[in-house]
Amino acid sequence: MDLSGQLALTVLMGVFLVGVAVLLTRVEDWRSYTPLASGGVYGDETGHAVQHKPSGITRWLTTVDHKDIGMLYGAYAIIAFVWGGLAVLIMRTELADPAATLIEAGFYNGLLTSHGITMLFLFGTPIIAAFSNYFVPLLIGADDMAFPRINAIAFWLLPPGALLIWAGFLIPGMAPSQTSWTMYTPLSIEQTHAATDLMLLGLHLTGVSATMGAINFIATIFTERGDDVNWANLDIFSWTILTQSGLILFAFPLLGSALIMLLLDRNFGTTFFTVDGGSPILWQHLFWFFGHPEVYILVLPPMGIVSYVLPKFSGRKLFGFKFVVYSTLAIGVLSFGVWAHHMFSTGIDPRVRASFMAVSMAIAIPSAVKTFNWITTMWNGKIRLTTPMLFCIGFVSNFIIGGVTGVFLAAIPIDLVLHDTYYVVGHFHYIVMGAIAFAGFAGLYYWYPIFTGKMYQRTLAKAHFWLWMVGTNLTFLAMLLLGYEGMPRRYATYTFDAGIVNLDVITALHQVATLGAFLIAFGTIVWVFNFVQSWYEGPDVGEDPWGLEDSTLYGREFEWHRNRLRTAVADGGEEDVVTDGGNEE
Amino acid sequence: MAPDVFDRETMLDLSVNVIPLFIILFFIVLFAAVAPFGYSLVDTTIQMALLVIPFIGLAILTYFSGKAIAEAEAKMEERGDLAHAENDTPGAHAGESTPDAPDAPDATEGDAESAVETRSTSDQD
Ligand code: HEM
Ligand SMILES: [Cu+2]
Repeated sequence: MDLSGQLALTVLMGVFLVGVAVLLTRVEDWRSYTPLASGGVYGDETGHAVQHKPSGITRWLTTVDHKDIGMLYGAYAIIAFVWGGLAVLIMRTELADPAATLIEAGFYNGLLTSHGITMLFLFGTPIIAAFSNYFVPLLIGADDMAFPRINAIAFWLLPPGALLIWAGFLIPGMAPSQTSWTMYTPLSIEQTHAATDLMLLGLHLTGVSATMGAINFIATIFTERGDDVNWANLDIFSWTILTQSGLILFAFPLLGSALIMLLLDRNFGTTFFTVDGGSPILWQHLFWFFGHPEVYILVLPPMGIVSYVLPKFSGRKLFGFKFVVYSTLAIGVLSFGVWAHHMFSTGIDPRVRASFMAVSMAIAIPSAVKTFNWITTMWNGKIRLTTPMLFCIGFVSNFIIGGVTGVFLAAIPIDLVLHDTYYVVGHFHYIVMGAIAFAGFAGLYYWYPIFTGKMYQRTLAKAHFWLWMVGTNLTFLAMLLLGYEGMPRRYATYTFDAGIVNLDVITALHQVATLGAFLIAFGTIVWVFNFVQSWYEGPDVGEDPWGLEDSTLYGREFEWHRNRLRTAVADGGEEDVVTDGGNEE
Repeated sequence: MAPDVFDRETMLDLSVNVIPLFIILFFIVLFAAVAPFGYSLVDTTIQMALLVIPFIGLAILTYFSGKAIAEAEAKMEERGDLAHAENDTPGAHAGESTPDAPDAPDATEGDAESAVETRSTSDQD
């Protein structure tokens, strides 16, 4: 097609998209979300004195309300999660046999890169922001975030970021980036894919977004607390968000700078990270100085969610509340001192290496302290196995495996053997999938009544949990074993010298991992179905969906929920839907 | 250090961070005494800095957070509502201040049992 033809098409497409946008703004009464739990619908312009939010899509495009922005983050994160999940399912199917039967290696590398970056930056960080935007102001008694507009801007940087990161798949004829999520030089400089440049720009945008959000949370928690909230009774979730925001503030700007240097290396021949210039190791230092704190950026708030939700169903307060606070802060500081445990095998000075090992051992203590606090909280408690509680328990058990395998890797001699094998993949997936995602679901189920005013379906929720628990452990335990067998990570195909390893064993373990991945995928479908269907048709919840009102565990956010219900238009007394129970297991 | 802020109980709470501090200190001493790769000005300095800097960072943060929390508690005590301390739900009324005592679990238990029944009839699947 000639140039003018393409131009005409582009203009036509633009007109069409504007048309769609205009049409959407006219759709009123989006059933999917009524901020008043029952009765009222926003957008009925019948001359009330109160100023209503605009209706339809305009509302979502212009909102600066922290709860709405929380919902936007959540929707965005879930879309990213599905994208990253589909990518990995294709990869796992490919790995079910040793040869390249389904896809070729280049495409595998593209999926691998997309999966890692999507899950960490487009799912992990935003799903946490979904909870923190929605609940931190409610929990600390603030009206909204300190800077509501900056909050909205921070979110709206993300969609273009995602489009740039996925550009290699979305733009026909452009090969996806194949750098893996670590973007190690010199590979990432030498690869000519234009998609890599777009991906780096997209990553930069998401980093700016996270930093803006973090500054906002620090300002909010420091200055917007209600009169009766002080440092001694600040809830544990807000504590973890405060620490996480501090980490983001120090880590993400560094990633941004390093990304710009990498872009300059790629496009203008600067030599920050080249062998004859600076050094490829320099990239690793900068990347991991960001990258290790990043893993704690991802794990601290989920730990906060578990510390917050788990006591509710143990019938007692969190054991050693202040231990959990101080250990969170300790992790915050120490996480900046361990980055080179990702670089033990790069040939850095052995004395320096030893120091990184020492601090890595020290950082395991605060994590272990938290684990003991969770277990002690449950010990002799009145445990109710509701779905959020099941996910909390799953979190603790998976976190233990992930943490212990991490301590092994932090020992230099062990790491030199297991580095860049599937053992590492198993280690961090026990944490990012087995723990972080599990805690996210504990939070999603626990607060579902607040988000939607409805109750989810109990049986489906438990099916989701068990599919995930079994799937996660099958997949990632198989990976730990694959690592012991010497299977290297990041390969689309595999073959082994029969004198060293039996290929059948490797293949069988890969098949187990693939099976687990499909169980997880199936569980995810059950979850999406449950949440969507219950949103439309679930029974309305009462003021106290978890039966906590008479204990000391009724949270501030549920008090807010109760006020909202009481001030809502009366709707003729729905039956109360209480907890999803659990004693019957 | 103001002794009234850092009383015995606060020190006990802070002990959780003293353990990693102690581990780092242990390695500082160890690496100073035993150096299988020898000493070299630059590398040994980096080696020590990598331990000393996190040590100081953690000590400072522990000190200030401990101080902020203890002072906030002291203020609440003056106002006579220490019951709110250690409670993760600031708005709710707290029964007692011991963190490990089960708080009236019976009240919730009754609810849960009945909840199971109501739910199973109104279950939609
Ligand atoms: C708490 C949450 C944790 C998360 C989210 C996490 C995440 C990760 C991730 C994503 C990687 C892989 C990086 C890559 O792509 O190469 C990794 C590797 C590693 N982790 Fe963790 N980790 C956690 C805890 C720990 C702990 C507690 C330790 C040790 C004390 C540890 C030690 C290591 C080591 C040594 C490696 C490098 C292994 C290698 O590449 O040879 N991790 N972790
Ligand atoms: Cu690390």
